[in-house]
Amino acid sequence: MSRPLMTTVAAACALALPAAAHSRPVTIATTLENYGGDGAYLAVYLTDAQGAYARTLWVAGGKAKYYTHLSGWNRLSSGDSKRLQGVTGASVGQGRTLRVTADLADALIDAGYEIRIDAAVEDMRDSPAEIRVPLSAANAGKPHAGRQYIQSFSFELQ
Amino acid sequence: MDWRPIHRWLGLVAGTIALILGITGAVLAVDSVRDAWQSVPAAADLPVAALAQRVSATISGAEEIRRLPSGDIVVYAFDAGRAMASRVDPADGRVLGPYRPSGLSHWFKKLHRSFLLGDAGRLGAAAVALGMLLLSVSGLMLMLRRMGGWRRLADRMRGSLVQRLHAATGRAVLVVLLLSSATALYMSAATFDLVVLDAGSEPDVVSVQIAQAELPAGRLPLLQGLRVGDLRRLGFPSAADPEDTWKVTTAQGQGWVDRYSGQTLAWQDATAAQRIHDWAMLLHTGEGAWVWALVLGPAGASIPLFWVTGLILWRQGRLPRPRLADNSPSAQADVLIFVASETGSTWGFAQTLHDALVRSGHRVHTNSLEHFQVGTAARRVFLLAATYGEGQPPAHAARALERIARTPVTAAQVAVLGFGDRQYPAFCAFAEALDAALGAQGWSTLLPLTRIHQQSAQEFARWGQDLARALGEPLELAYRPRLPPTTELQLLSRQDYPGGADQPAVILRFGLPAQRWRDRLAGQGLARFVAGDLLGVLAPGSGAPRYYSLASGRRDGFVEICVRRLPGGVCSGFLHGLQPGDSIQAFVRPNPGFALDGERRPVVLIGAGTGVAPLVGFIRANARRTPMHLYFGARDPARDFYFGAELERWLGEKRLASLRTVFSRVANGGGYVQDALHRDAGRVRALLARGAAVRVCGSRPMAQGVARVLDDILGTLRLSVAQLKAKGRYAEDVF
Repeated sequence: MSRPLMTTVAAACALALPAAAHSRPVTIATTLENYGGDGAYLAVYLTDAQGAYARTLWVAGGKAKYYTHLSGWNRLSSGDSKRLQGVTGASVGQGRTLRVTADLADALIDAGYEIRIDAAVEDMRDSPAEIRVPLSAANAGKPHAGRQYIQSFSFELQ
Repeated sequence: MDWRPIHRWLGLVAGTIALILGITGAVLAVDSVRDAWQSVPAAADLPVAALAQRVSATISGAEEIRRLPSGDIVVYAFDAGRAMASRVDPADGRVLGPYRPSGLSHWFKKLHRSFLLGDAGRLGAAAVALGMLLLSVSGLMLMLRRMGGWRRLADRMRGSLVQRLHAATGRAVLVVLLLSSATALYMSAATFDLVVLDAGSEPDVVSVQIAQAELPAGRLPLLQGLRVGDLRRLGFPSAADPEDTWKVTTAQGQGWVDRYSGQTLAWQDATAAQRIHDWAMLLHTGEGAWVWALVLGPAGASIPLFWVTGLILWRQGRLPRPRLADNSPSAQADVLIFVASETGSTWGFAQTLHDALVRSGHRVHTNSLEHFQVGTAARRVFLLAATYGEGQPPAHAARALERIARTPVTAAQVAVLGFGDRQYPAFCAFAEALDAALGAQGWSTLLPLTRIHQQSAQEFARWGQDLARALGEPLELAYRPRLPPTTELQLLSRQDYPGGADQPAVILRFGLPAQRWRDRLAGQGLARFVAGDLLGVLAPGSGAPRYYSLASGRRDGFVEICVRRLPGGVCSGFLHGLQPGDSIQAFVRPNPGFALDGERRPVVLIGAGTGVAPLVGFIRANARRTPMHLYFGARDPARDFYFGAELERWLGEKRLASLRTVFSRVANGGGYVQDALHRDAGRVRALLARGAAVRVCGSRPMAQGVARVLDDILGTLRLSVAQLKAKGRYAEDVF
């Protein structure tokens, strides 16, 4: 029972990775469950083939003091001083959909990278690995369910 | 500093919104108590390692253990694609059932924190918390002024029922409200990142796989050293990430533990800000401290009471300053009237004086006392001053004495009229200070200082007669107080006495008319009265009521007074002429300082003549058989032994513990009532040493004589009548 698409966000990201001859926009759509709580904090980020942090795509939720509850992202990205630059927005209400667009280098696709989402809701449990989906052309357009808060997640390559 | 307008306006604005916070806060406090009672907490010294080991054994896929503030242990797990939250018995790791936090509680919490308005609402709630803090501080300042300082803060409250409700509730919950609002502000500051709670970035630590097997939770040294009582949460290492670590958060800080070696990889102490936040949370919510929550709940629920009583007091205090016709400019007036009045009541008297002098052809300028200034045209200067609390001036006139000291003395004559209440220790103290200051400056005196008790129109009129003589011109001061609505009372019976000194007396008993429920609810008319309150009687054609002490309470089902006929007395003459079936117009005026408070300590009642009436009322209402000892002074048993038969009967019923009578006009009658007290000194001292309350009713000379004797008796107990008065143990009703 998802409400109309309310939160549409475009994140124009400078490429943090070198030697990217070409890049393409990736659109990520995340629809939340009606879990019966306040707005969710979400961290959408990329990890590489070794599981190391690559880049933050979006952080939903404005209060930095709650970022420790996005524990996987918070730990992995702690060395990235620019992790929040231009990629933050409001927390996402239950039943609503977050859309994020990012420019990703072609080299990242089908190269072992993963899109991960950590989720947390005030007074409810944290969900550090709510979504882990390999960034592969084959996965594009396929819906995935999260563990706790995300009803459906999918990304589109253009 | 004048806190009154601050308190008033904050109360009207912030107080109105605080209603929501108070009510929801009370509801949430009930939640805290309920959660604490229903919780299954761990033994105080159970190690976190043991708990984690038990949970690992009973719940597969456990990801996190949380200890709720109530003490309950909740385990979050993810097993076979399903997210689960379970309450667990820490004694054995057994699952007690699913954990489902109440949606209603959550809604109340959101309403309390943010009025359901998100961050804007949170800011609003923080502003209201700041308002509550200032309301508490200003309320404390006002109470200190009212009571007369810190040392008297615990004394008995005086004033009307609404005033006492407001102030006594404030005294009881002040500390709680101060704490609640201060902690709320701290937590708001943390919410908006004005206070940073965490220690900075988390350490970059990973588990290093040295062996195939992980150590079980029970063998992790860090967790073995931590107690479940301090635990906030314990994160299990993720099954999907071999480098993930254990992460534990306690009241002391957080630690990371290698899943293979069991080594503590990092430890961060909780910051001071975090520890303060934990305490603020505990003090604000009472979560995990149900006894404190039981204190917090009523404090929250008291806010509607504050709001309603505060609103009533505000409306009562908003008496408009009268519009003065013919107020001449100060420079041209030959008569100046300066008024110092906290609530505005003294202005009514000033208006009467102003109007009377204008009628006699004077040019009168009336102003409030802070504008004290005497021009060359002025020949008479009147100061009408009310006294507040422990002898303080009304707030607006706080600097009047300094101003008077700076004002050049002229040839004008001055007269000071003080208004106050004899129940208070510092009766008319401010007027006395004004009079002394004017005298010291060298102003000549038109009339000596006169003190008016309880806004008595009679005493004011007498002062007017003195004034007319001093001015050498006719002057009548007919002050018309604003009277409450009257009720018609029908005389049921009368009991006549020849009375002492050729002044016959009569005990009149009136029936109690049926009450409309609306009046009863609003406490209007004769809805509530007790023995010792005053019955205001309006004789036909008379605008000024006469007051008689009530010898009965509402519960007795009738209204009884004892009236001595005064020579030329309009009202007493009218009352003496009544026959059963006749009616009067009357109202009740509370006399809260005099009525007994219902505590079970002995009571010494001392009355003379018709002054025995309210004391009789106390004894009649003494169903609990509190030991009451009556000293009754009359002139002659055959003429003025009022209520004699009833007193004898009540002695038998133990409503009255002892009765000492003296008759001053009879040989060997025992003299006056103070003589009887003097003879009984040992017994009276013993009663007072046991905390007895004293009520005195009769003429002023009699009351002064009684106070002298009791001061002697109290001296050996290192006490005085003044001290007992301050505590509310000693009260007089004199006429």
